[in-house]
Amino acid sequence: MFTWISEFFSLAKNYIIFALLLAISLFMISANDNNYTKGLQAAGLVTTAYLETGVQHIVDYFLLSSRNKELLKENARLIDLAAQTHLALDENEQLRQMLNLKSHSTTPLVPGSVVGRSSDGGRNFLTLDIGSDDGVHVGDPVVNGSGLVGIVSSVSGRFSLVRTLLDADSRIAARLVNATADGLIEAGSYGELKMSNVARRHDVKKGDIVETSTLSSLVPPGIVIGIVSRATDKPGNIFKEITVQPAVDFSSIFAAFVMQYKPPTAAATLEKEAIGKK
Amino acid sequence: MTKRIIVYIILGVMSILLQKFLDNFASLGSVAPQLVILFVIYISLREGQLFGVTGGFIAGLANDMLVTHFIGFTCFVGVLAGFISGFFYRESEVDLAARTLNFAWISAVTLFLTELIALPIVAAGELNYFYVFLKFTIGTTVYTSVFAMIIVFVNGKKNRYV
Repeated sequence: MFTWISEFFSLAKNYIIFALLLAISLFMISANDNNYTKGLQAAGLVTTAYLETGVQHIVDYFLLSSRNKELLKENARLIDLAAQTHLALDENEQLRQMLNLKSHSTTPLVPGSVVGRSSDGGRNFLTLDIGSDDGVHVGDPVVNGSGLVGIVSSVSGRFSLVRTLLDADSRIAARLVNATADGLIEAGSYGELKMSNVARRHDVKKGDIVETSTLSSLVPPGIVIGIVSRATDKPGNIFKEITVQPAVDFSSIFAAFVMQYKPPTAAATLEKEAIGKK
Repeated sequence: MTKRIIVYIILGVMSILLQKFLDNFASLGSVAPQLVILFVIYISLREGQLFGVTGGFIAGLANDMLVTHFIGFTCFVGVLAGFISGFFYRESEVDLAARTLNFAWISAVTLFLTELIALPIVAAGELNYFYVFLKFTIGTTVYTSVFAMIIVFVNGKKNRYV
């Protein structure tokens, strides 16, 4: 009997186990509301929750990395935005000063935007988007809200080239306001200007204002050029060595006015007459 | 044998975890590929019917606990799948059945039959049996068979696609 059962089981064990497991499965399906089955479900839910939390941690780790990259990108964008805002504020300030200048100036002013800069080998020029079509002429002085920028050196129909005070060939007659001394402003070193031909007897101090002189035939008098940053006397030199910090920030200038300045002809006529009498 | 069982346990756990992922992210109209059943068919083709039936029950129970939370259903399908695919087991031609395109069509046949047998459970309370048949029996069979073919192309013996 036992042998027969053993042989039967060995022959039909697949079917028996299949039927048994199938029956258990069907029982579990039918007993899904049973407390034991609910216990299995609860155990599964807890395990799944742990697994999902673990997976979430891993996903978060990689998301943090990509989020970090996004934040870095956002940071770069904000830095760029802050720089643009700073530039806009600078531009705004310059335009405000220029507006103030225009309301006080008696000389006709032609506004223009700086569309190009060149500074190489002692040359220092600005390109303005206004030209002869706008009434700009060679030799016209150029100013902004801070002070004198330079002199127009060449003009086309729509553009003009301005030789700034920092150009090696720039020479402007200037006057020290406090010392009431005249001299010549030319380009110095490191973005500064130097004032020459000021006699040693004049009392020049740091901070003194330098402006255009009445002696100049190119620019109207009284336009600020800069302030004295250093004034020294050297042995054997009858003139002072004066360094002037320009009033205009040439590196960030966005716009400027061309002054349609016509030097007074009366003085020149008188001079000519005086020479003629001699 | 012990080494093989450890490998199957690892494969089974991986297939359940992947099943969880596929249920969440790759199900089309609540039809998801049955990776656990593919795993059961695979072990049945490699180790025989008894192994397949037992493995199907255990893997199905784990899947029910962790993925479906409907205890017994995947057990039922797993046992059926292990049993049916066990008929294709040939001790001398294990690789031929489990690692060639044979695996894909055996899976398709097994899945169709198991899903068909399980249809009354799936369609409990549904009046439209034909809709459930099309959606779940045919849908699951086709969708899972596509995965079976992917597994064959990834894991199969490239020179023996029969």
